[in-house]
Amino acid sequence: MNNYEEIKQFREQYIKEKENAQQLNAFHDKVMEKTVHVAMEKVEREQGQIPAPFAFFIMGSAGRQEQSVWSDQDHGIIFEGDEQFTSYFLTLGEEIVHGLEMVGYQKCDGKVMASEPMWTKTRQSWEKKIHEWLDNATWQSLRHFSTFFDSRVLIGNSFLLSDVKQVAFEYLEQHVHVYERLIDNVDFIRKGIGIFGQLLPEQSGEMSGRINIKTTTIFPYVNALRLLALVDKCEEASTAGRFQLLKNKYPFLQDYEEIYLKLLKFKHLYTKDAKDYDEVHHVAVKSLRKRDKQELKSFMKNGSELFQKTKKQVEIECSKW
Amino acid sequence: MEMVLMDNLWVIIGTFLVLLMIGGFILLEAGSTRMKNAGHIAGKTIFTIGIGSIVFWAVGWGFIYGEGNGFIGLSDFFYGDTSFDGEGLSPAVDFMFQMMFALIALTIAFGGFAERAKLSAYVVFAVLFSALVYPVVAHWIWGGGWLADHGKQDFAGSTVVHLTGAMAALAATIILKPRIGKYNKDGSSNELAGHNQVYTALAVLLLWVGWFGFNGASTFGVSDAFFGYVILNTQLAAAAGAIAAMLLVWAITGKADVPTTLNGALAGLVAITASCGFVEPWAAVLIGAIGGLIVYASMRFFDRARIDDPIFALSVHGTVGVWGTISTGFFATHELSVGMEWGLPGLFYGGSFEQLGVQIMGVVASGIYAFVVSFIILKVMDKVMGGIRVSEEEEIIGLDLSEHGSYGYPENIPHPNDNQVNDKQAR
Repeated sequence: MNNYEEIKQFREQYIKEKENAQQLNAFHDKVMEKTVHVAMEKVEREQGQIPAPFAFFIMGSAGRQEQSVWSDQDHGIIFEGDEQFTSYFLTLGEEIVHGLEMVGYQKCDGKVMASEPMWTKTRQSWEKKIHEWLDNATWQSLRHFSTFFDSRVLIGNSFLLSDVKQVAFEYLEQHVHVYERLIDNVDFIRKGIGIFGQLLPEQSGEMSGRINIKTTTIFPYVNALRLLALVDKCEEASTAGRFQLLKNKYPFLQDYEEIYLKLLKFKHLYTKDAKDYDEVHHVAVKSLRKRDKQELKSFMKNGSELFQKTKKQVEIECSKW
Repeated sequence: MEMVLMDNLWVIIGTFLVLLMIGGFILLEAGSTRMKNAGHIAGKTIFTIGIGSIVFWAVGWGFIYGEGNGFIGLSDFFYGDTSFDGEGLSPAVDFMFQMMFALIALTIAFGGFAERAKLSAYVVFAVLFSALVYPVVAHWIWGGGWLADHGKQDFAGSTVVHLTGAMAALAATIILKPRIGKYNKDGSSNELAGHNQVYTALAVLLLWVGWFGFNGASTFGVSDAFFGYVILNTQLAAAAGAIAAMLLVWAITGKADVPTTLNGALAGLVAITASCGFVEPWAAVLIGAIGGLIVYASMRFFDRARIDDPIFALSVHGTVGVWGTISTGFFATHELSVGMEWGLPGLFYGGSFEQLGVQIMGVVASGIYAFVVSFIILKVMDKVMGGIRVSEEEEIIGLDLSEHGSYGYPENIPHPNDNQVNDKQAR
């Protein structure tokens, strides 16, 4: 596969065969990796060799290994050396964005992409940016930080991302009060269950009658595990991986890990036939049997409970410092 | 004599309050629709109440209150009775108060035209509705017509004003069809959100106050200060309607939707309009609350039936108008019905099913008449006028510019030459 068209065909041919969320995410990694390689070769042909060591990292659902059949792009680049290489890496970023779009990953509405100066920087600039985000501790800056933290390297030198994450851990250790702001930042959980115990789907538009499983159900698990990973200086990006690494220290996670894995299965089952990126986050309430609805509600309730317990745990951990 | 003058003064104050409700309707319709149509809505409302006033003077009053038969009055056209014998209401005061109800019904009817009807359609329909639709129903119930003979209770116009206007709005919205972008190919509906909820809320407040004149002055006098009781019931029903609608939408969707809450208050007002002079305060609370619940169910029903009702006229004035009218059949007390020589007590006050039956018959007959005649008028207009809906391009530009040549908010909307119209042409 030497061009985007071939990768696109490969993606379309095999993506439906993936039987579970783990297989699907491994497949996405493979497709994205191939695409980025093609982009790198193209830029190297036109602009010369890559001038410095770098890491191309993915964030968002890709970073957390929670992608569905359709996914958008969330990625960035860290590179060693001088600012003068910025334009080269931004060009590479643009080509990656173009390639991924051609292959089937739509652009990120929030412009969290390596083609943007905000997400492609030298290591020093990244370290400065992390300090700036956490110093400012505004709602927006912490949202950027959380986005960044759910990251893993797809191609390049892993230590670059690891170093930047270490900077964040050190900062947070010395500025414990920021955790409170990080909790506030994700404290809002979109309601999925009404007072009569009914599911609350969208009321209008093409998604009416469908419930947004990402915002109502998955986010509390994601946000809880991210907070604990920060407290525990755990660099792991995937939520499932975070459960694995943290459950011994925080035994209350053990019950929720199983629930989370079931949730991923549930989501995969009900979104694998989605026809676009918007639909892939929405489950049609009508398509659910009674026991599926009960299960979905229990995912929501458990997610909310996990988040509440996590908040308390984070407060306890912070008080020890 | 002083008491008679007080009566006249009170009714003319009520007249002013009801006329100010037109301001409420301007804000309600403008706030509930998109800003590209705001100037049009304000302008056409003032313009059409001008038409409605002249038509009411020429033939409307005569068809309602003239000497005639059970179906229609046929005298007193081009009204100009200057006599006043010192008893009851001055003819001119009575005329003015009645005219306001005709104008409110017309304005409600135009709710079904919102954002897509030609200005010329407003002009022609204003004339025909004010002459042929509203006066007939008003004659049946208030002008000594056949429903009045049956003792039909409609204190201030749940049927005469609200249901009649809403049935015309229903006919219009069926013929005009949904606005561009309202429904998707898969049948799901999009929310074409109104551009200013503050306008809509202020509209509700203005209408609420105006309703004190609408219902309160329908006592036609100040003796026994009965208007105070009527206004008390009006207030309670509006309050209960707002609360009930908001709690219901909050419980069902998880969001305390503002337009639904506002419609709940209006629903309470519409519901109590028929019964405000016949029922006890506890019943007013119940009637208003049920109005608030019904209005939300009705909004959802019309939306799912793909009937695009931009300002919810069908639900607020139609569905709830029906409930308000029927409610007296349940809750009218003996003292306030038989005691006032207006119909019979409701089912819950020892009355039989008779009054309830009369109320239902009144609703059905009036509703069918208003819908069928309006539908025929609009269908004929549609044929003769080469359509009553603006072209797709005009609808996209907005009626401010296409029908009037200037925007209600000139600073806030990019000129269409800069965007979609040219894009369309370029393609």
